[in-house]
Amino acid sequence: MTPTGTGQSISPRSAKRRRRAKGGVATAMAVAILAVIVGVALLAPVLAPYDPYEVDLSAALQPPGSAHLLGTDMQGRDLLSRIMYGTRLTLLTSLTALVSGSVVGALLGLAAVFFPSSDAVIGRLLDILLSFPAILFGLALGASLGPGLLPVTIALSIATVPEVGRIARAAGLTIARQEYMQSGRAIGLGKTTLFFKYLAWNCMPTIFVFLTLRFGFIILLGAGLNFLGLGAAPPAAELGVLAAEGRNVLAFAPHVATYPSLTIFLLVLSLNVLGDVLRDKLDKRLL
Amino acid sequence: MLNVLLSRLFLSLPVLIGAIFFGFLLLRVVPGDPASLLAGQSASADVVARVRTEMGLDEPWILQFVHYFGQVTSGDLGRSIISNRPVLDELSEALGPTVELVLSALSLAVPLGITLGVIAAIYRGGMLDRAIMALAVAGISLPVFWVAYMLILILGVQWNLLPFTGRLGPIWTLEGLQGLALPALTAAFTLVGPIARISRTAVLETLYAEHVRLARAKGVPEHKVVVKHGLRNALLPIVTLVGLQIGHLLGGTVIIETIYAWPGVGRLVVGAIMNSDYATAQGGLLLMACIFVAVNLIVDLLYSTLDPRLS
Repeated sequence: MTPTGTGQSISPRSAKRRRRAKGGVATAMAVAILAVIVGVALLAPVLAPYDPYEVDLSAALQPPGSAHLLGTDMQGRDLLSRIMYGTRLTLLTSLTALVSGSVVGALLGLAAVFFPSSDAVIGRLLDILLSFPAILFGLALGASLGPGLLPVTIALSIATVPEVGRIARAAGLTIARQEYMQSGRAIGLGKTTLFFKYLAWNCMPTIFVFLTLRFGFIILLGAGLNFLGLGAAPPAAELGVLAAEGRNVLAFAPHVATYPSLTIFLLVLSLNVLGDVLRDKLDKRLL
Repeated sequence: MLNVLLSRLFLSLPVLIGAIFFGFLLLRVVPGDPASLLAGQSASADVVARVRTEMGLDEPWILQFVHYFGQVTSGDLGRSIISNRPVLDELSEALGPTVELVLSALSLAVPLGITLGVIAAIYRGGMLDRAIMALAVAGISLPVFWVAYMLILILGVQWNLLPFTGRLGPIWTLEGLQGLALPALTAAFTLVGPIARISRTAVLETLYAEHVRLARAKGVPEHKVVVKHGLRNALLPIVTLVGLQIGHLLGGTVIIETIYAWPGVGRLVVGAIMNSDYATAQGGLLLMACIFVAVNLIVDLLYSTLDPRLS
């Protein structure tokens, strides 16, 4: 059970068809927003109108206008360019964490299914990891390694492991009962083939849908840790850091904090909407 | 009941020991010499040497852990290098404000979230349901700090209704309540979305259960079906799921405390990390881990009390 459960899997068919038709607009918008944000982030070096680190104190705290579309921060740096580069950094760290954490989590969860003797140990380990909130890992790593992008990325990755592990285990248990697993075993396929090609491969859709839902959470968590100062050091452009920089000028230059936060919100919102839609399509009660 | 309590307590012991071990490791994996880190940057060689013997850093690590474990369980968490006060004192001062913030946020968010979730479930597929669920998704997607910023800007700066300068007094005074209002509203705002979604799912699941169908079939009025047969049975999963999520949902209080300069545990830990005050950071993290274990335990117990079938 995730905090995002909507129970749509139990809707009767007619209601579901209705929702699917209405949900089309939302999905299209989510995909479009996501595509724009990711595209702009990827092309930041080409698209950014200014150098994101170029200080120009004479142009400090300008409101959004024609010279600077989204205005400037207190050191006169162009906010739009900083947000473009910031999105790049935010996406890079969260994606790295998501991929590494989910590989470890999926392997653990599937191993628990494939080698039943390991189930108790792995299950307990995942339970313990699950019982602590993800931000605790970020704080702990920040305390031990000192602030930086590496500890934040590791923390985000650790936060991904137990949830993905749990989902992979649940999905794996369903797959393991399928006849083709038995047949594969019966015709004498090697353990590696059985594990990766039969078990893991067929769990991929479920894990992938879950990751879409989880990605937004990881981005929020990462931005939060960066906001607290546990991540990228201040001159760096990262969305959480940018939002934190706007704090002191919130009352008279709210645009400095607003636009980076808005970018995070749109990014996470479109991922969540997309994740919900994909989950309804998958129509399994695992998520 | 006592049996349940004892067995749950027994089950959470390994987690607690694990948390202490993790806290122990925290200082051993830091780059550099833990003794000089604990003694502070300006400490002389003598002091560092004394700290090293005090910490027993020349002993084998198993002994070190046993030693550390003994210290922690007897309440000795070391001294803060910033304030030079015992970490335990600092933590016990910070605990009150955090509990204050958390409980007031929950008492705002839980009733509102459950109400919205139930309404959405009753009008499933309708305009109201879609509106509530859209708001819930938006709420889940908002960065906590932005919620805080917007509330500060609108309620604090623009309308000048509420202060946002930290804790102004104990909760039973007017100033105390005023100071608490914005941080608590921010925390509550982030909680309502997830709680509404959980409640909607839980109510929907009971509304399609056999006994509800039976109640409808024998002609029980619809509002009675929803409240007595649906909601009442749904409360159980709602309590559990909300409870189990609380630990995670409250991760946000660390950020909220930092923004509002709220003198709680989260702010203490973040400040300690920034100032390389390792003893305080370690103690604070340990306290947070204990809180989460305790919350899980309470939810577990609540669950078995609410559902006698389980105990």
